[in-house]
Amino acid sequence: MRRFLATLGAAAVLAGIAAPVAAQDYPTRPIEVVVGYSAGGGSDVMARTVASYLEPALGGASVVVRNLPGAGGQIGFTEVATAEADGYTLGVMNLPAAVALTYDRDADYTVDSFTWLGNFVYDPNTLVVPASSGIESLEDLVAKAKENPGAITAGLTSLGGNDHFAAIQFANAAGIELTQVPFKGASMARAAMLGGHVAMGTMAYSQTVGFEDELKVLAVLSDERLPYAPDVPTARELGFDITMGSYRGIVGPANLPDDVRQKLIDALGAVAKDPKFTAAMEEQGSPVEFSEGEAYEALAKEQNEAAAEIWKTTPWK
Amino acid sequence: MYGSLIDALPEVLGLSNFLAVIVGVLAGIVVGALPGLSATMAISVLIPFTFAFEPLVALGLMAGIYNGAMYGGAIPAVLLRIPGTPAAVCTSFDGYPMAQKGEGGYALQIAVVSSAIGGIASALALMLLAPPLARVTLLFGPSEVFWVAVFGLSSIVFLLGGNPIKGLIAAAFGVFVSLVGSDTITGYDRFTFGRLEILDGINIVVLLVGLYALPPVIDLLEHPESPDASNTRKLATTSIWSRLPDMMGFWTTWLRGSIIGILVGILPGAGGSMAAFLSYNEARRASKNPENWGKGEPEGVAASETANNADTASALIPALTLGIPGTAVAAVMLGGLLIHGLQPGPMLFRDNPGIVFGFMWQFLFGAILLIFLGGSLATNSFAKVLLLPRPLLAAFIIVLMLIGTYAIHGRMFDVYLMLGFGVIGYGMDKLDYPLPPVVLGVILGGFAEENLRLALRIGRGDWSVLWANTTSQILIAVTIAIVVGPLVTRFLRKRKSARHA
Repeated sequence: MRRFLATLGAAAVLAGIAAPVAAQDYPTRPIEVVVGYSAGGGSDVMARTVASYLEPALGGASVVVRNLPGAGGQIGFTEVATAEADGYTLGVMNLPAAVALTYDRDADYTVDSFTWLGNFVYDPNTLVVPASSGIESLEDLVAKAKENPGAITAGLTSLGGNDHFAAIQFANAAGIELTQVPFKGASMARAAMLGGHVAMGTMAYSQTVGFEDELKVLAVLSDERLPYAPDVPTARELGFDITMGSYRGIVGPANLPDDVRQKLIDALGAVAKDPKFTAAMEEQGSPVEFSEGEAYEALAKEQNEAAAEIWKTTPWK
Repeated sequence: MYGSLIDALPEVLGLSNFLAVIVGVLAGIVVGALPGLSATMAISVLIPFTFAFEPLVALGLMAGIYNGAMYGGAIPAVLLRIPGTPAAVCTSFDGYPMAQKGEGGYALQIAVVSSAIGGIASALALMLLAPPLARVTLLFGPSEVFWVAVFGLSSIVFLLGGNPIKGLIAAAFGVFVSLVGSDTITGYDRFTFGRLEILDGINIVVLLVGLYALPPVIDLLEHPESPDASNTRKLATTSIWSRLPDMMGFWTTWLRGSIIGILVGILPGAGGSMAAFLSYNEARRASKNPENWGKGEPEGVAASETANNADTASALIPALTLGIPGTAVAAVMLGGLLIHGLQPGPMLFRDNPGIVFGFMWQFLFGAILLIFLGGSLATNSFAKVLLLPRPLLAAFIIVLMLIGTYAIHGRMFDVYLMLGFGVIGYGMDKLDYPLPPVVLGVILGGFAEENLRLALRIGRGDWSVLWANTTSQILIAVTIAIVVGPLVTRFLRKRKSARHA
């Protein structure tokens, strides 16, 4: 035991000496990007695409993606939040899902447990109905919902996610009652809508891409119209002041050393500007909208407050 | 559409693309044959590498692995009563007794031919019928899917074994396991004891590896020299082609298994294991000598293996056309497509016909290659593992089980869980509780519950939503006919014979 403690002490001393060196020449060993979802999902594909462009941007470092799926991403988020703040463990962050978890469950992290490096993807939610439903506008939908309260069923991707928040916000803003039907995943919610088993959905815009003939997007829940979908009005234009969307970015544990943090922010910024990267992301249906460092942190705090507010007024569990 | 199908062919036959399918099939058979490793896992591991590949090379590998693994699972199921994949559970019912009778080689040959036939049928369905079958998928909302699950659960009667009470206890245990995790409708945790690892439910591979692989392994160690060893180790060495005529009698089972497999494949959320169960039961129901089933009936192997391969390509019908993964494997494959900028959905066929139709051809070739690669690989190399000393074989399998379970999510928790299920499985084995009802309960219990509650949510608590539309009504009628039918005929027959007497 004593020998073990001695070794441990020696290791700690060595680590203490090594740390400042590592910060200067960072990175000297492989960087791990933790993804809280299985290989092949949207977050995973983004992580791998970012990783492959981040390697040259960090001067030939090696960036490895590690999948730690489970509990709606919570296992992965916790891993990042509790990792050593040396810049060798980063993670994919999903907002508002990650902060919403901290309200409806016991979580070992809060919005302050992370160093917010860069957000890559913004995917606004929509209000969408099957094209065959005959509903042509948000007005039609609201009128129908008022006619028979609760008769409009809304297919959700999951409980406590941005889809769910969008449905709550829409119901509140329009003064209507929706019957929420939480499916397991976006594709199941979309299938139920395509088959006419639910009346509407609030899925992210990217989930409607490729289904233009089958689905009618009534409104998008962003501040402004989307540059890649200029014909779709925002809910705000139509008189409903709601915005909701999901954000995917890269974070590290809180309190990263300043130089490491800056180096990572610069490298991620360079990745986001690489036209080959943006083209690859666009092909995957996730157009890049980059915000770095402080702006990202502000976004996270804003999302956190929105989730807290919804939890307070309309708890989903 | 069929024009694009032909246009895609030359590309698929290119050297690297075709080689990818061959490598995929071989890798798939190996992965499937190793207990604890599954097709889902193999393809997940492959995903990161596919960044660097041409799309058709990556997709060819995936198609090959999927087909290969669905057959590979049968090898240990037959030889050791350890299903290599969840979908091979039903194969072990009759495959293992066959092996004990010294017909293991024949069982493997049936498995490979049936797998290939199921795979070919499925690939043809994907190539020729994808658009109409995708419309069938959309007919199945929560209430319809619920009835399919009920239909599947009704077949539990045939799996109860000698003691119905023990069988029902086993089934209830399976249903209980399927309910662990976060409740999708209300978000409350059920039986998770605060563990994040089981919040998403218990992975079926974890359960199956423990329940099905550990007891036989302990058995291998308990009896280092098995009395029937001389029998089990003898494998038929007759060539597969000379046995083909014997198999021709299975054509109805092949046809039925293919149709069931394809239909289960296009159902959202159902998988290969469900296809195998349904096909096995229907084949048994139609059989002239149902009492032989479970004791080494070759047709049972054919039924199970046809269906679990018939579910492969068809699972991609909803995945490609609607973005709905029919199985876990299909879900991972969608990620593989996404990496190459191929967004699933109705537009996929229009925007990237070369790749999509090429992928379909690869499924077809993967299935055909099974006969050539699977037959000889299984009988010539894998079957040789039985020649290993039993303690060595047991040690080898335990290592695979531990690695495989760890690799699913990269955590020890699953390994402990697997070992826990292993202990339960061992106890059940000693106390003569049947294992199949557990598996059926796990596969269908939670599935039925979730869809029932989604349906009721959609109907706002009104139960009539369950029989409100034609698809549901047809499914209810079929279930009643199949469950009640035999009882009625037996009753009538009894009355008739009573009158005669």
